[in-house]
Amino acid sequence: MIITKKRDYEELKENIKDYRSFFLLGCSECATLCCTGGQPELNSMKEELEKEGKKVTGTFVAKTGCQVLGTKVELKPFKEAISESDCILVMSCGAGTQTAVELYDDKPVYPTNDSLFLGNMTRLQMFDERCSLCGKCILDKTGGICPVTACPKGLLNGPCGGTNEGKCEISPDAECAWVRIYNRMKRLNKLEEMMEAVKPKDWSAHRKPMNLNAREKAQSKK
Amino acid sequence: MSFKSALESGKFVVTAEVGPPKGTDIKEMLHHAEMLKGKLDAVNVTDNQSAVMRINSLAICKLLLDMGHEPILQMTCRDRNRIGLQSDLLGASVLNIKNVLCMTGDHPNAGDHKEAKPVYDIESVQLLSVVDLLNNGRDMMGNEMKGATDFFQGAVVTPEANPIEPQLLKFEKKVKAGAGFFQTQAIYDIETFKEFMGFAGKFPVKVLAGIVLLKSAGMANYMNKFVPGIRVPQGLIDEIKSAGKENALDAGINIAAKHIKQLRDEKICDGVHIMAIGAEDKVPAIMERAGLI
Repeated sequence: MIITKKRDYEELKENIKDYRSFFLLGCSECATLCCTGGQPELNSMKEELEKEGKKVTGTFVAKTGCQVLGTKVELKPFKEAISESDCILVMSCGAGTQTAVELYDDKPVYPTNDSLFLGNMTRLQMFDERCSLCGKCILDKTGGICPVTACPKGLLNGPCGGTNEGKCEISPDAECAWVRIYNRMKRLNKLEEMMEAVKPKDWSAHRKPMNLNAREKAQSKK
Repeated sequence: MSFKSALESGKFVVTAEVGPPKGTDIKEMLHHAEMLKGKLDAVNVTDNQSAVMRINSLAICKLLLDMGHEPILQMTCRDRNRIGLQSDLLGASVLNIKNVLCMTGDHPNAGDHKEAKPVYDIESVQLLSVVDLLNNGRDMMGNEMKGATDFFQGAVVTPEANPIEPQLLKFEKKVKAGAGFFQTQAIYDIETFKEFMGFAGKFPVKVLAGIVLLKSAGMANYMNKFVPGIRVPQGLIDEIKSAGKENALDAGINIAAKHIKQLRDEKICDGVHIMAIGAEDKVPAIMERAGLI
């Protein structure tokens, strides 16, 4: 899921100082699990704004805020509330914010959150980055542990000299990605596979902005 | 004699490190380089070491070459992508720099520009392969070049890494990628180093033991605490302490000289790489006491 955290409120206040009325848009997926854009967070944002004498014309938690058409349909009943507002505050990720930008191109839209990373939820409210969406997976060569993400240098061929009793020099709380990979490959009896040098990564596999037309692929298969 | 021929001749090779300064005043560095002239088989010039921004390695290598030194160009992958690295290697080649030490490089987090975007487009093992390709007249994409390079390429290894197994695996990859010589992280425990050499000695590469001059007991304690892969035994720290504050540096010089002498007398490795870290003027004293000059 996309991990978000609340933006600095003073910065947001500066963004919206000239507006009087707001529509709040959350998301029931990642932002709800991150407690940055579920109904409780929308409610407290509403209270906060009202405390400052501003008006909230409506709130809605979209099913999946990054799904443009679905969100458009869901927001139909809120047409009036949205048009009454000076500005939309999106309480999900950068993708959700830009869904609103696409749907309301004549209305100011501001994000209330910073979007951090693609994360695994390890415990309630605890998230780890394990995949960098680099475009060309190498998990097949590294025992299923991604060094592009878990190693601060993104090393592909083994640890640097900074391994400290199995910990990472840069993030001392984290285990060295390459010690983890080595131990796992050893357990799987696959150390031999690690002897082959991994070639330089093809970074063109992640050339921004990425897009994918999976529909086209499915059709061409037929 | 070139650095490569010196290693091949079987003589005990000595190199030392010169760190380019931050800023354009190079008087002190040149003075140190002058003191080392004629004493070393090569001078190793660091590449923004510890991720602290300084003069680049290439410019200083060229100045030292013009002085009559044999420079080793350190190249890290932290600050340049594969285009920049290859381009700088070609530049070094036409400036007649013959040796290159390939490293991944300390993370910007360790340095004085912590907000920098680290590059790491490729890393040490891959950079070694790139040098090999350039030596064979082709770039990384297989494009034919007009004129090949002729580098002697080396790499680094940490014999005290903990755990050691993944480090040795990477060492082997570096050998396969074309490393002809290795420079080690600082070693202070000759017995552990012998164990490492028991492994490294099986490969057709030359190994220079890293000797970092201990300038005080505080420095030793600091490295033990904060520099992974460096372990100064308590016995050595006590030795420096008992020498007293005024004589601490002298005791450090003795320790370095004693280690070098043992490495050479017992033929444990192919040479040493002395890192005096700001006290380059003490390198001749270390060498004298080790019986090298």
